[in-house]
Amino acid sequence: MFTEELKAFKRLGFRHVLLQVLNFASVIASGLMIWKGLGIVTNSESPIVVVLSGSMEPAFYRGDLLFLTNPQNERYQTGDITVYKIPGADIPIVHRVLETHDVTPKTKKSKKAAETSSAVSTLPHQRLLTKGDNNYVDDIELYQGLEWLERKHIVGKVRGFLPYVGYVTIAMNDFPQLKYALLGSLGLLALIQRE
Amino acid sequence: MHSIFSRVNNISAFLSSCMMTLLAAIALSSFLFTANPQGDLAISSIKVVSSNARRYPNKKQDLAFVHFNITADLTPLFHWNTKQLFLYLEAEYANKKGVKNEVVIWDRIVRRKEDAFIKFEGKNKYVFRDISSSFNGVPPANYVLKYNIMPYVGLLQYGEAARTAEAVAFPATQSRL
Repeated sequence: MFTEELKAFKRLGFRHVLLQVLNFASVIASGLMIWKGLGIVTNSESPIVVVLSGSMEPAFYRGDLLFLTNPQNERYQTGDITVYKIPGADIPIVHRVLETHDVTPKTKKSKKAAETSSAVSTLPHQRLLTKGDNNYVDDIELYQGLEWLERKHIVGKVRGFLPYVGYVTIAMNDFPQLKYALLGSLGLLALIQRE
Repeated sequence: MHSIFSRVNNISAFLSSCMMTLLAAIALSSFLFTANPQGDLAISSIKVVSSNARRYPNKKQDLAFVHFNITADLTPLFHWNTKQLFLYLEAEYANKKGVKNEVVIWDRIVRRKEDAFIKFEGKNKYVFRDISSSFNGVPPANYVLKYNIMPYVGLLQYGEAARTAEAVAFPATQSRL
């Protein structure tokens, strides 16, 4: 089965293989660049997330894709849907803001500190409480001992929605064989293609 | 050149680009619907009761009980790209220390156009408490009915459907209901 492919390899030579490897690497690199570029534009560490739980049903189901932004100088309001990550918990959570409390940050006496942090201090510190639309109670139990959610825990605000597409990643997580099969076949195709 | 693989590849690429264009068109079309329905919101009574705090049984915490009436016809918000409407009533106030607060006290998910005529009379669904644990001396609060249109595909949109004409004051704390 592979004899023909091997013959083709021999005919095309080592340089061709190298070229294909280079192509493959450039595809991966540009993907990474787009992802990180989006992260810079939206100011969010992961601007696209996949819904993993059913706590926002019937709006968001498992496998739906969400697009996030996290503008630095914009406060969060009730009704906004946030994605947050509590330190110690490995899965980010998508829930709606139920309460906001804008606590004015403690002003420092020294002028230097005020000057350097002027951009930050114009925005009040917010304490948030969230709740999943499909849950009966708010999220205090999920905060792992924290009383309120703060800005630093938040990955972003949900802006856009695309159904079902993210299910591929869930399927790949549930069935690792699928992931390896997909990666393997993609790699093989990239090496073999003769166009 | 005309192997099965390349044919499958071409067809799936074409189909997926058609699909993306269609989805983008649907997502953009929801900006053409700019309905802005207005409803009525009235606060009928507020009571503030001292109670035990949620996590600290020995600490006292003021809870507010708000009774209200909502009448709003939100049917214009339902168009072909509306999956559901998330409707919520929030209280906006600044407490003694100048802390701005927004607290959702009631919400409802509306999934069908037939259910979008809202006529509701009742009290808050969620615990309404202040971050300083007392409503004593807190300035009057505004109550606002807001909505979030959640699409089948595209961007989430927000709006305001009703607002109390003037701020409603918190009464003095009572020890029991």
